[in-house]
Amino acid sequence: MPSNQADRFQTFAALHVPGDPVILYNIWDVGSALAVVKAGARALATGSHPVGDASGFGDAHQVPLDYVFANAGRIVAAVDPLPLSVDFEGAYSTDPEEGGRNVANLKQSGAVGCNFEDQIVGGDGIHPLELQARRIEAIRRAVGADFFINARTDLFLKAADHGDALIDEVIDRGKAFADAGASGFFVPRLADPRQIERVVQEVPLPLNVIAFPGAPPKSEWAAAGVARISHGPFPHRALMVQLEEAARAAIS
Amino acid sequence: MTKFQDFERLHVPGDPLVLFNVWDAGSAQAVARGGAKAIATGSASVAKANGFGDGQELPMEFALANARRIAKAVDLPVTVDFEGAYSDDPDEGARNFALLAETGVVGCNFEDQVVGSEGLHPIEMQADRIAAARRAVGPDFFINVRTDLFLKAPQETHDDAMLDEAIERVLAYAEAGASGYFVPMLGDLEKLRRLCAESPIPVNFMTYPECPSNAEVASTGVARISHGPFPHLALMAQFEAAARAAIG
Repeated sequence: MPSNQADRFQTFAALHVPGDPVILYNIWDVGSALAVVKAGARALATGSHPVGDASGFGDAHQVPLDYVFANAGRIVAAVDPLPLSVDFEGAYSTDPEEGGRNVANLKQSGAVGCNFEDQIVGGDGIHPLELQARRIEAIRRAVGADFFINARTDLFLKAADHGDALIDEVIDRGKAFADAGASGFFVPRLADPRQIERVVQEVPLPLNVIAFPGAPPKSEWAAAGVARISHGPFPHRALMVQLEEAARAAIS
Repeated sequence: MTKFQDFERLHVPGDPLVLFNVWDAGSAQAVARGGAKAIATGSASVAKANGFGDGQELPMEFALANARRIAKAVDLPVTVDFEGAYSDDPDEGARNFALLAETGVVGCNFEDQVVGSEGLHPIEMQADRIAAARRAVGPDFFINVRTDLFLKAPQETHDDAMLDEAIERVLAYAEAGASGYFVPMLGDLEKLRRLCAESPIPVNFMTYPECPSNAEVASTGVARISHGPFPHLALMAQFEAAARAAIG
């Protein structure tokens, strides 16, 4: 009998321990999920870019919602009882209520959480803080308490200057996202342990950063208080390079 | 020249087309970057990647949509491993062939094993299925008919009588409209040589662990070498190792 979704959510939430981060090696389909399970993963997370690249639809809301839900449902069934979080980009709508309905439908697939970003998908820049907070509130109302909303700010992705002024802005966002009902705070490209420490101290949410080629060792991030380390598009990209090389060797 | 014509001409006995099997659009693009001249899916890989068992458990709608996405993602000819065309019935199978041809792919594998059961379809029945498929797709579609004679039997039992039956089958399949003949797990070079000499259509060899080298296989007259489920299996093992290193 499949496990209970609320239990999987509790398991997933409890894995977010500042200083002892849960490591998520991002996947895109059932096959990649099962490989990561065999490697000892305690939870699974899709990456929207890998799903878009693997399926050929592309990133930035190009993967149809039906496909996202069906793919999530297949992964949930295959890895049960491990929890799955889905990289859901901007919830496929800038409208708070519609975004809320979309995340509620995602929850129906069996996923216990999602990433939700503040960049304007398909446009430039990021949503104003108040709008983004309203979007998070609407999602929380739509999904109830037992769903891990990992609210992502793309300030670091969008800005060239990663100085302390930007960290102030990141912290403002993190606090507002927490007030709006977020479960976690995700800051891709944030890497400096000193900056991480500040965010961890001031934002009352578990902090998620992305490991990238050349990033500081995970132990340094853990010591700075990170609660979740994910890998974004890098696992799929690296694997596709390996496939290309294997194909070249076989063909030549 | 059309993609179908490109694909057909790549089948040169003695200088085989090498296909490194894929399962989705991303893997197809990676293999294209690796220098492939054509793209082929593997049904077991597609099923495994998406959480379905092999043997037509992958819904046909998924197989067709996946084929369409791959054909759109690469500029190369694409052939799909279509198992038993999702029906034993010649007419229904033919309709499914027509749906597959509409996705933009230029060919497919088509098995003679009874999917989901034991044994092979009788030769005449399989020839009827091929003839119906050919009528449905017209001349510009590469029907790579696969015999599972050797796949179903341990290698030490692959004797001359089995080879005789394989030859009898290919003569009937070619007459019915098959474009190519696929003999997975036939690994004996002498038998391959005899089959290639007697087959009126290009012969497809599938690599497997410890099999003869591509050069040895090519010397028998084989025109296509594919890799079946092995690229996906190998890559997922690499992915597991990478994940283990990351998770620590």
